[in-house]
Amino acid sequence: MQIYLPIAEMPINVLSILVMGLTVGFLSGMFGIGGGFLMTPLLIFIGIPPAIAVGTQSIQVVASSVTGALAHFGRKSIDFKMGGVLLVGGIAGSLSGIVVFKALAKIGQIDLVISIIYVVFLSVIGGLMMVESVKAIRAARAGGASSGSRAGHHSWLHGLPFKMRFRRSKLYISIIPPIMVGYFVGMLSAIMGVGGGFIMIPAMIYLLRMPTNVVIGTSFFQIVFVTALTGILHSVENQAVDVVLGMLLVIGGVIGAQYGVRAAERLPAEQLRALLAALLLLIGLRLGYDLFTPPSDVFSISDVSPHS
Amino acid sequence: MIRIRHIAPLCLLMMMGVGFAPLQADQLVTDLSEHQIAIRSNFTGTQILLFGAVEANTPGERALDRDIIVVVTGPSHAVRVRRKEAVAGIWINHDSVTFPRVPGYYAIASTRPLEVTLTPEVLSAQKIGIENADIGTASASSIDGKQEILAPATEETFWKALVRNKRREGLFINDPGGVTFLGQTLFRATVDIPANVPVGLYTAKVYLVRGGEVIDAISSPLYIDKRGLERFLYRVAHADPLLYGLIAVFAAGFAGWLASAVMRRN
Repeated sequence: MQIYLPIAEMPINVLSILVMGLTVGFLSGMFGIGGGFLMTPLLIFIGIPPAIAVGTQSIQVVASSVTGALAHFGRKSIDFKMGGVLLVGGIAGSLSGIVVFKALAKIGQIDLVISIIYVVFLSVIGGLMMVESVKAIRAARAGGASSGSRAGHHSWLHGLPFKMRFRRSKLYISIIPPIMVGYFVGMLSAIMGVGGGFIMIPAMIYLLRMPTNVVIGTSFFQIVFVTALTGILHSVENQAVDVVLGMLLVIGGVIGAQYGVRAAERLPAEQLRALLAALLLLIGLRLGYDLFTPPSDVFSISDVSPHS
Repeated sequence: MIRIRHIAPLCLLMMMGVGFAPLQADQLVTDLSEHQIAIRSNFTGTQILLFGAVEANTPGERALDRDIIVVVTGPSHAVRVRRKEAVAGIWINHDSVTFPRVPGYYAIASTRPLEVTLTPEVLSAQKIGIENADIGTASASSIDGKQEILAPATEETFWKALVRNKRREGLFINDPGGVTFLGQTLFRATVDIPANVPVGLYTAKVYLVRGGEVIDAISSPLYIDKRGLERFLYRVAHADPLLYGLIAVFAAGFAGWLASAVMRRN
């Protein structure tokens, strides 16, 4: 069944979008990721213009992260104070990301930049995840417990000013690193159409040294507001949000995410993490391949619209 | 429904009344199967049927050596053509040329190939064919957005690339032999309207050609527009983008809440 998208101005197969939404939603619920960095490349692969893929995807991330945040709210695994500090950075990051996005779109390089950033992030994150999960699988087989040497670990972060106490995270750290993490993630959110959980969660664990039980919930909490802002900004600045496409993605996404959250409690997480890592590497490879392959036609055309 | 031109019969009457018959006074009568195409949520492209008749001025005269050319033109917009170049192995958009007035859609169909029926001079004078359309003065920019002087050869290359891309998207159509005569006077042509067609006011123009000259031409309007929900959403998104964005985000948040509420109950 085909449906015409009013903003993308093209017909699309409803079923394939729903299946994509379900799959990505499932993975996002399972790993506490927004799923944007899987969905945006997929949307571009099926022919949605990159700007609209990014803008619309932020809407889907809003829905899936609201669901995720609510689930973690019920389990009291959100550090609101830390989330708020991250959010301050996130709002600033989203605003500057939109400015960068618009400037790149104007000079015709936004597609290229989106592709390059995706290739870099998918390769790095996919690679790290793969190494991590292989290690964990091996450790589990060997029967040895992983060493959780967090306590008492000092780093340069402890020398920074503006310290604040985060009771939920049992931390007393400077607010500069979380604001910077938030800013960076907010910027990625605007340019890539992602929530940024895949950056924020490792940053929270390894950089801020937050306890893992509050990391995912806090990340969801921050993502809800940053992507909501990103969605509104993309609507206002680029008219790049297609609600029909967005709602199809949301329907698939929210249902998939619910099952993902439940499945995470039962399925072998490390094996699945390895699978997700492989998937990320594959998408990154494909995007990278496209960058270096001579295009079938070196010329491309685009309407010079008066409003962009 | 056949809509006859208002002036033509009048002219004919006047000429006959005055008493001298013009040398070539064959007349066209044409119409479209539809004058409005609505883009709704189930729109996946369509076809329009253009039909008509050649009315010979002398009854019984055979419609030999007559050719019909049909041109359907969409609204014009500025189009930028970019050329990719490999920089450090990566293919990136480099130079660009902007053409100010390019029809968003251009379909041409004829009974025989245009080269056979009309000379390039006549085609150019009558503005038939996309290469003869009035596209304005092209301007070139380099990768850093600076204006450049546009060499004619470069303009030609970029223009050809534009036409090639539009053809690939199904928005420029060339169909020699697309117009067929049914008997002596009746003719018909079907024109494809692809799903990615731009909205706006279109013109369907029919030319009657005889002896290497255009002896009559008729234009009919054709509106292509979004309708229903598609139109409403497009309008709001462009007229009130803040409201649109807020509604989109709120709806998404609500869907997320609804999903968790429903699942919790189960």
